[in-house]
Amino acid sequence: MSTTHAPVPGLPRERDVLPPVIGSAVQRIDAVEKVTGRASYAADTRIPRMLHAAVVRSPHAHARVLAVDTSRAARVPGVHAVITGADTAQVKWGAFRPDLYPLAVERVRYVGDEVAAVAAIDLETARYAAELIRVEYEVLPAVLDLDAALADGAPLVHDDAPGNLAHEFAFDRGGAREWLERSDVVVEGVWQSTRQWHGSIETIGCTAEWSQDRVTMWVNTQTPFLARQRYATALGLPLRAVRVVQTEIGGGFGGKSGDDNTSVICAILARKTGRPVQLVNTREEEFLASRPRIPMRYHVRLGFTSDGLVTAKEIDLVADNGAYTGKAQAVLGAATVRHDALFTYRAVKARSRLVYTNLVPTGAFRGFGNPSADWAVGQAWDLAATRLGIEVPDLFLLNAVESGSVSPHNHRISSCELKQCIRRAAAAIGWYDKRAAPTPHRGLAMGVSVHVSGRRSFGDYDGSSAIVRLTEDGRAAVIIGEGEIGTGARTTLAQIAAAELGLAVADISVSRPDTDLTTHALGALASRVTYVAGNAVKQAAERACEQLLAAAARQTGRPAAELWVEDGHVHAPAMPGEDTPLRQPVGTVVRAELYRPGGEPIVGLGSFDNPSEFPDQLRYGNESGAYNFVAEAAEVEVDPATGAVTVLELAAAVDCGTVLNPPLAEGQVEGAIAQGLGMALTERFDWDGGAPTRPNFVDYKMPTAGVMPKLHVEFADSYEPTGPFGAKGVGEIALDPVPSIVASAVADAVGVRVHELPITAEKIFWGIRTGSTTPPEQAGPGGLSESAEPAPPDRPAPPRDRAPGEER
Amino acid sequence: MAVPLRFRLNHEDVEVHVQDPASTLLDLLRNDLGLTGTKSGCAIGYCGACTVIVDGRAVPSCLQLVGLLEGREVRTIEDLSGPDGLDPVQTAFVTCAGMQCGFCTPGHVMALRALLDQEPEPDEERLRQTVDGNYCRCTGYVKILDSAREAVSLQKSLTGEAR
Ligand code: FES
Ligand code: FES
Repeated sequence: MSTTHAPVPGLPRERDVLPPVIGSAVQRIDAVEKVTGRASYAADTRIPRMLHAAVVRSPHAHARVLAVDTSRAARVPGVHAVITGADTAQVKWGAFRPDLYPLAVERVRYVGDEVAAVAAIDLETARYAAELIRVEYEVLPAVLDLDAALADGAPLVHDDAPGNLAHEFAFDRGGAREWLERSDVVVEGVWQSTRQWHGSIETIGCTAEWSQDRVTMWVNTQTPFLARQRYATALGLPLRAVRVVQTEIGGGFGGKSGDDNTSVICAILARKTGRPVQLVNTREEEFLASRPRIPMRYHVRLGFTSDGLVTAKEIDLVADNGAYTGKAQAVLGAATVRHDALFTYRAVKARSRLVYTNLVPTGAFRGFGNPSADWAVGQAWDLAATRLGIEVPDLFLLNAVESGSVSPHNHRISSCELKQCIRRAAAAIGWYDKRAAPTPHRGLAMGVSVHVSGRRSFGDYDGSSAIVRLTEDGRAAVIIGEGEIGTGARTTLAQIAAAELGLAVADISVSRPDTDLTTHALGALASRVTYVAGNAVKQAAERACEQLLAAAARQTGRPAAELWVEDGHVHAPAMPGEDTPLRQPVGTVVRAELYRPGGEPIVGLGSFDNPSEFPDQLRYGNESGAYNFVAEAAEVEVDPATGAVTVLELAAAVDCGTVLNPPLAEGQVEGAIAQGLGMALTERFDWDGGAPTRPNFVDYKMPTAGVMPKLHVEFADSYEPTGPFGAKGVGEIALDPVPSIVASAVADAVGVRVHELPITAEKIFWGIRTGSTTPPEQAGPGGLSESAEPAPPDRPAPPRDRAPGEER
Repeated sequence: MAVPLRFRLNHEDVEVHVQDPASTLLDLLRNDLGLTGTKSGCAIGYCGACTVIVDGRAVPSCLQLVGLLEGREVRTIEDLSGPDGLDPVQTAFVTCAGMQCGFCTPGHVMALRALLDQEPEPDEERLRQTVDGNYCRCTGYVKILDSAREAVSLQKSLTGEAR
């Protein structure tokens, strides 16, 4: 990463003169709190007289609730309240399609659905009492997979969703079928992704306390203002009655964006008991009742001319919503269109359906649909490269978008260094050298992805605002509601303020969201904080700085134009006849501005709305003002005897504009890659009766330090003209291509193409032996994990060293 | 019936009365003693977020029964820093950006502290094994391993100065 740039014509001059704090490895402003254990996470909230809560959940995937007997639980000494659906407002809530009750009303729709809850003097008592609650169920037929849910006459998960369709849309932009018919090469396949859990080490939790007719909720939510709106609906309260305060957050990844019932139940218990109540998910509950990644099944067709120019793409996508919708509807939109902003398609056609099942509800997870899209479409591109006899990086370079490209959905690409990323990732992994001297059982693959920097999604606004107050001790307070989920957002916002104000980062404090006290903010989602909030903070700081200089000008009798701020001081050259230049501490100027008749504070307000369009019902519209890009290359080794995969090396080249803080940006990339490797290789459960058999960390294996490959992380030399100091988002993008490149590298190594996540040794073992990744005893018609591409009649010899006939 | 229990906690003698000898040190620390720096991530001994040091060894406090603590020596994250500043392991995490959300950090810090107490100069393999014992969902472990290496050299230079 380099922060010195040659001048680029047409770009603002700012690029050539980035302040030194931009692009430097500034220490996180919350680092000491975190290493000492003083940071206060959701479960660390302590309020005198606080009660603890436990939830009773459905053991059935689908059932009618006939009766709930809470009498024994209520008699347990130390129990303060027991609640059921009857104690709630019985209002359905949800971000896009309200379909979730705070506690079950008449029916439960998945194993884990909330039925009743208890608040008691301590957790043991609450859990003991919860076990004494007797629920009488009439078990109903359930739909436990996509095909069952879509079958004619399938039981309905929600009576108002015929065909179990929660959402659907379709479009044809440019006549894709005609383009495909006229294409020289068409590749086709079906790919299925899987439920992946966020796996934040901290589970979802809330502490709620009422004061008269208002509730304060201390929640580890990524999106306090959006969550507040939904919580108010769920509680049947006016918005003004709910205040949400963000605690420290032990990992978000989309999972703490306020689509689940935990905080709502907590608030109801607090009202009923008249005491503060804390409710924190157990790890088992987190697996049952959070909102994991949506499993998606893509049927993909891609067309090319014989010289490798892409023509068109057609997808048919079905997505497993689970029992409730949350943000899944928006994820479906992203999963359908966003990856079309990568290549210069002439036409794209899609049909997308979000399907209710009686399974764990799904929702937002880092990548927001992109990892599933890349899992399918990325592998189709890999197949196409083989068919065309073109190396993958070269095929990408032939078709990649550039600055100024416009996608079929009107994604208007401003800065774009995708081609630079492709070249850098290829170089970092040693692509052409490794191709020239292949090692047996090793394989190479490359993938690319695109992400937004904020997405217009929750109404026609994707903005942010900030207040910068210069303090009388010469520091600055940034008041903003965006928050911190662990990425270091508050540190980068402090850097931006410091750069504008001429103060040290150590002299900047950044607020935590409080819906009563900070500016309104959409929060940490859609890789938006650096770009959207960064611009707001930058403007607020600029305006505070102008006021400071005006005040200093008045105080010193010099023209404001001669003044500047640096090192915490207002400076000016020496006046004629004086020999010392002016050097006044910022705090002195601020104090002098206050302590005079009619004194005023120095406070700057900044505001920025993403220069994007609110996409229409068919997902047409430029969803973000800036797009970030990645190219990743992986080398894997497969043990042909067992099918075990080792990822040896992974190279990522990221275009996120200016890198504001290299270690923080690298951390986003490294962590995203780890999560992508988990999704690719190990993260799964055994299921029985609609639920994981043992929903815990022993069964659900996430990557540990020992399994991480060697990583090469690079950042493209890039500058986004609309970003703060040229920056774009970086939080999600590096996860997206990982599962698909691992699969393609396995195919390159041993000729086995895995179509269904995760990529297990067992699938590869059978693929090597039988040509089908399904174990012989389980093989049936339409088995997804079997290679689904029709064998092309005119297939040229594969250019790579591949076992013949094993990939179809 | 509450049972009295005496042990050393962060270099002080403590006596507590425990209702259930089969309850865990994690709950005792967090709920009864107000030491919330030790985190709970799974409660089944798998994630390492709750790691503390008992008699010099890193253990998951969610599996440590309080009934077995009598007379033993417990150290938690709260013991590592004080008015004089941070433990070298903590300093290393700060300077190497070894945390993101920070929820796993106290556990990683304690596991590495225990290692360095036993083996002041562990090799790369030992560092990797130690870090491998604790989950982190944010960092991909690269900067945790950087922090671990930095902690070793920091500790080495500090003990060198002390001599
Ligand atoms: S909480 Fe003890 S190991 Fe996870
Ligand atoms: S820093 Fe978040 S889990 Fe490790």
